[in-house]
Amino acid sequence: MIERAERAIEPSLTQEMEITGEEIERRKAFLEFGDEDVERLMSMNELAQQYADSVIEAFYRHLLSFEEGRAFFPDPALLERVKRKQKAYFVRLTQGNYGPQYVEDRLRIGLLHERINLPTKLYLGMYNFYLRTVASYLLEAYPQDSKKAFGLFLSLLKLVFLDINLAIDTYIHKRERTLRLQQEAIREISTPVLQLRQGLLILPIIGVVDSLRALQLTEQLLRTIRSNRARVVVMDITGVPVVDSKVANHFIQTVEAARLMGATVILTGLSPAIARSLVSLGVDLSRIRTVGDLQGGIEEADHLLGYRVVKGEELDARARPA
Amino acid sequence: MAVAAETRVPIASEADIVAARQQVRALAAQVGFSPTDLVLIATAISEVARNIVQYARRGEITLSPIEQSNRRGILIIARDEGPGIPDLELAMQDGYSTGGGLGLGLPGARRLMDEFAITSEVGKGTTVTMKKWARPHG
Amino acid sequence: MAVPILRQGSYLIASVQSELTDADWVQLGDGLAEQVGRHRSRGVIVDVTALEVMDSFAARALSTIASMTRLRGAETVIVGIQPEVAFAMVQLGLAPTLVHIVTALDLDDGFALLDRRTREDAEGGRGG
Repeated sequence: MIERAERAIEPSLTQEMEITGEEIERRKAFLEFGDEDVERLMSMNELAQQYADSVIEAFYRHLLSFEEGRAFFPDPALLERVKRKQKAYFVRLTQGNYGPQYVEDRLRIGLLHERINLPTKLYLGMYNFYLRTVASYLLEAYPQDSKKAFGLFLSLLKLVFLDINLAIDTYIHKRERTLRLQQEAIREISTPVLQLRQGLLILPIIGVVDSLRALQLTEQLLRTIRSNRARVVVMDITGVPVVDSKVANHFIQTVEAARLMGATVILTGLSPAIARSLVSLGVDLSRIRTVGDLQGGIEEADHLLGYRVVKGEELDARARPA
Repeated sequence: MAVAAETRVPIASEADIVAARQQVRALAAQVGFSPTDLVLIATAISEVARNIVQYARRGEITLSPIEQSNRRGILIIARDEGPGIPDLELAMQDGYSTGGGLGLGLPGARRLMDEFAITSEVGKGTTVTMKKWARPHG
Repeated sequence: MAVPILRQGSYLIASVQSELTDADWVQLGDGLAEQVGRHRSRGVIVDVTALEVMDSFAARALSTIASMTRLRGAETVIVGIQPEVAFAMVQLGLAPTLVHIVTALDLDDGFALLDRRTREDAEGGRGG
């Protein structure tokens, strides 16, 4: 109950990563982590406090003996701070109450490490070092009862695996988020709406078009039609590898929406293969103006707009009285 | 689920259709919908509200903001105690209308929203339940 | 709210200022049909820039206005449909209903379009 109250106040990483109270229980169940384990862990608390300093000191000596490890602690003050945190965590492992607040703390620490780009090999290596060190202390503490020592060790192993899992999850979560942001950014820059001349927009579409991209593309085009007062749009789909009936319908909708605003869309770059497949799919393109290639599309657009393209020499010739 | 109290909009006349559009727009803007989605939602509610006025004369629409696993949305429930719809499947087909309209009201509203459910009993009335989820702004 | 109908030369301009009820739409259609006859107008512009929603009723009303005024001898152009509104109309499935209505971006474009069309009509008339 107390844990639940804590969780309600914390609107946090556990929520963002969707690690709910039920999910935590599922993870513990899979590890077969139960009340017995909690008791065993708490029984080691005194031992943990006693040895925390030496374990942590030994670990950082080990870490700093590697070039990669040293790179993370150029500043002695930072090193001391991190050591204090690690000691607290080491003792925390044996203090019970491994509920949502505990999980939240683990996720925060995980995120912190992700942020400084600590490689997972160092992260996992640290846990391995702890476990090995604790195992030897346990055998020392119970010289006559190695079975008990091993039981204690197994309980700790379960908790450590729970923690490792959470740490790795924060890494994955963070990377996925970065990936998502990049995808959005790519989507945005991948569909430039260009103004070729007054009243004429060119929309070259390159790459795979899914429903979301089709939606963004349409929104962007319609807004640009308004802001640039465009009357004709040439939409070139030469660079779209696959046009199935769904994508074709998106294009048809784009064309129709543009028409309602008062702009004509000319579709270009429909390859013979795509044209054939659309016909066999029964897609009705009769209401859409299509022209073979981009150049033809632009010529038609100019015609609609009343432009006439004239070569420079001809212009010069006309300007000079013969 | 609901993060704020629901809004009730009584529907009894054509003027209420306009009022429902304006109310849902205001609420959807608070939830964080894009300008495009605001229009889609307002158009959908316009269709279901008109359906009430045309066939049941009066009814009620409730609007509630909703939240589910990190996404926010809006729930719209339109209820009436009108004559009901004898053949729902037929009523959900494009172009089917008994009221002299385009027959795009209900099937159109379904296309504008993410989730759409309709239940109806002849002589008892009709309930339309629709949801839309806000897209992350891109 | 009634929509004011202004007369400019041989054109009528109906500028929709706020959201319309169904009755307002019907009234607008009747008003335009009547005035086209009275002034022998050649063109009608319905400016819907201010509208934030166009549902199936509004679309049908526009389509009816276009057909009615055409029968009375005037071409109708709908101007100012907003990007979001156009998108919603297409999603709703209104495009086939509106396939025969003429649209333009704004009032200026609407006038230009009507000028072109009425001139073509006049030339075509002389030729035949």
